[in-house]
Amino acid sequence: MLELLLQAAFDIFSLQTLMFLMLGVLVGLVFGVIPGLGGTTALAILMPLTFGMEPIDAFAMSGGIMGAVGAGGAITAILLNAPGTAPNAATCLDGYPLARQGRAAEALGATSAASALGGMFGVITLLMVLPVAKELILLFGPPEFFLLAVFGLVTIALSDSDNLLRGLITAGIGLMLASIGYDSVSGGVRFTYGSDYLWDGIPLVPSLVGLFGITEMIRLSISGGSVAADTSSVHLHGVMLGVRATFRHWKAVIRGSIIGTLVGAVPGVGGTVATFISYSLTKKADPHPETFGTGRIEGVIAPEAANNAKDGGGLLPTLAFGIPGSSEMAVFLGILVLHGMQPGPAMLLQNEREIYGLILALTFSALLSAVVSLVWIRWLAMITLVKGQILAPLVIAVSLVGTYAIDSRPGDVLLAAAMGVLGYLLVRFNYPRLPLVIALVLGETAERGFLQSMMIGHGEWGIFVATPTSIVMVLLILLSLGWSIVPALIKIFTKHKQGPADEKA
Amino acid sequence: MMKNTDRTRRQFLKISSMIPVLILISITGCSGSAPAGYPASDIKIIIPYNAGGGFDTYVRALGPYLEKHLPNKINVLPINVPGAGGRRGASDVYRASPDGYTIGVFNLPGVMLPQLQGEDVGYDLFKVSWLATISIDGYAYIVKKDSPLDSIEAVKQMGRPITYGATGPSSTSYIATTIVSDALGIPYEVVTGYTGSSEYILGVIRGDVDAAFANLSTVRPYLDSGDVKMLAIIGTESTDPTIRDATGLGIPELNNISVIRMLGAPPGLPDDIKTTLENALLAAVNDPGFQDWLKQTGNEVHYSGAAETTRSVAGMAKFYENFKQKLE
Repeated sequence: MLELLLQAAFDIFSLQTLMFLMLGVLVGLVFGVIPGLGGTTALAILMPLTFGMEPIDAFAMSGGIMGAVGAGGAITAILLNAPGTAPNAATCLDGYPLARQGRAAEALGATSAASALGGMFGVITLLMVLPVAKELILLFGPPEFFLLAVFGLVTIALSDSDNLLRGLITAGIGLMLASIGYDSVSGGVRFTYGSDYLWDGIPLVPSLVGLFGITEMIRLSISGGSVAADTSSVHLHGVMLGVRATFRHWKAVIRGSIIGTLVGAVPGVGGTVATFISYSLTKKADPHPETFGTGRIEGVIAPEAANNAKDGGGLLPTLAFGIPGSSEMAVFLGILVLHGMQPGPAMLLQNEREIYGLILALTFSALLSAVVSLVWIRWLAMITLVKGQILAPLVIAVSLVGTYAIDSRPGDVLLAAAMGVLGYLLVRFNYPRLPLVIALVLGETAERGFLQSMMIGHGEWGIFVATPTSIVMVLLILLSLGWSIVPALIKIFTKHKQGPADEKA
Repeated sequence: MMKNTDRTRRQFLKISSMIPVLILISITGCSGSAPAGYPASDIKIIIPYNAGGGFDTYVRALGPYLEKHLPNKINVLPINVPGAGGRRGASDVYRASPDGYTIGVFNLPGVMLPQLQGEDVGYDLFKVSWLATISIDGYAYIVKKDSPLDSIEAVKQMGRPITYGATGPSSTSYIATTIVSDALGIPYEVVTGYTGSSEYILGVIRGDVDAAFANLSTVRPYLDSGDVKMLAIIGTESTDPTIRDATGLGIPELNNISVIRMLGAPPGLPDDIKTTLENALLAAVNDPGFQDWLKQTGNEVHYSGAAETTRSVAGMAKFYENFKQKLE
């Protein structure tokens, strides 16, 4: 394997290939920054251009794009609370408060470093696991998918113990929204009211742009001022502070990377789930979880590490079985096929050298995009000083245009706007948006997994503990529940005990 | 005095502003409808799948060869219009202007079944200006590699209903599964809900279900790697004597069941434009460069021209009408 890596390194370090890598990184950063556009769009647009290219150049460019998009998206997530790509939405939660405190540069420095480290972790894991990839993918069938979705829902819904009831309510809203559209199990179409637009359900990216980006711009317009609440305290030189913070909080990096790689490897679940679970678990593991959302630096480190680690993970099912780990991977699959490689068990043997080339490209992309964005950061952070009256309409316009650019559907733009209003209402009345998003993403997986499991198991509940994987998932869910509910229960019991004791005294 | 110069200035402006407008009108008048100039600008080819999926790469590979064999130097632009199982792309093509600048891929019988069931689909396949058939993809009946089932007879003697994996109840995989199994007299259950054929092929390998019907082009890598084995093939002829096809199984009438990709244009396409496109497509498909790509990637092309495609659409509709109750 080492010999192959060296050969691949040799391929990558040719001037031409490096140029394509750099091009991919730049394109990825730009596409990442614009809300609504993302890696999927970038790859799809550049795919025809790769037609005449050498496979290694095409892969270098693709790797460059995939590794850089998350870094670009983190920039807008932090500065404007508008996730540049769907997985960056988790970064908004603590990133934007940091920007409001004038610590945007620090946050950006932290995310760049976290992206680089997470990306490398994901790629190393991929290399180690690739030989047994097939067996791993086969561990996840419908029962395991259902349990994974439940785990995701439980983690998120219980992540905010103060707002537990409201979290459950918004999760419920998310599940209802998730049920809209064609159901592949029954073949029925639900809640579309005859509209073709809703046939495939509520699309995720416009929803996120609306819920986090447009909502925040509405808030900014109403409250006035600029993103950085107190402009006198903006530290433009905080970048290295942020980078150092990432290395200090190495536990958050590791946690985010592991979750990102694992969740990214499960096909169909996608990067958004990876970053949100990473955020929630980091929050839970912290001695002061309630401070998350006010500007904790770990709150941006963990999701961004996950965001890049997921690329390494996502390549696992993509290369091993031709089943894309995410929509980005789906387009990348197309690029593979365009260059005459049929993803699947055969490809891993026949095209090893190109694959290692891709893996190296991903690694270097994570590093390169960190370096490139660090150079820009000082100037980018100045955006937080701009007055809301100028910034808000600009960001809303760019976000809506970017949303339209995804699929050329006017419905997407309307949806983003509607979600923006919904998001504002949620925030205004203190309802958390996070559970809604996760429920929207996982609702379909959960329902499909459950119904298919019932079909496969002929209605027996035992199907959910039939394999070691499913038993592990069930234990994880119970642990999660226990972690959240038990402390709450203890609090209630100790209050009761103290009550009568006070009376006696 | 001032008024006079004002008036002359205004008149001058009026007349001189007419000139660019007249020029523009005459230019646009020239390019629009003259068939001798076709194609005068880029042609959009609509792909009803997501980028990277399904038939997308095939069309993108064919595009440059189509460009090469069309007169004038124009581009063929692949546009992805995914959604609603291919129906969105189909209706986009159908509703476009029949000027030869929008054509598209139709996946049949996928987009035909809802039309046959009387749904409001936004297109009428009998009115589409058909240009060519590009591919015919038969269904492989697969089981996992170490399955005890090694033939259709073994399936019939299982002693319990066989479980199949499929996507949705109105999908072509489900239709193929139910029609063929009924015709062969095999009792079965179908686990629906898989998001794509790769997913239910994995389901077979994993053991969720016993067997499945999958398009040859999708399942080939799994056959090559030995993860699954094929018991029969429906929709194309079998070249392997150990694998039976529809004729060999005694159900030759079911040889029609396959996934067919056709290229079509909006209804009312002028005949000369149609001929130009048809000829260019034939040349593109036979171009040695494209043939090389096919060999390299293991893809196949099954071409037939406009007239035959129109006939097969009618024939397909008649075939599936027989099974309408099953689709309800």
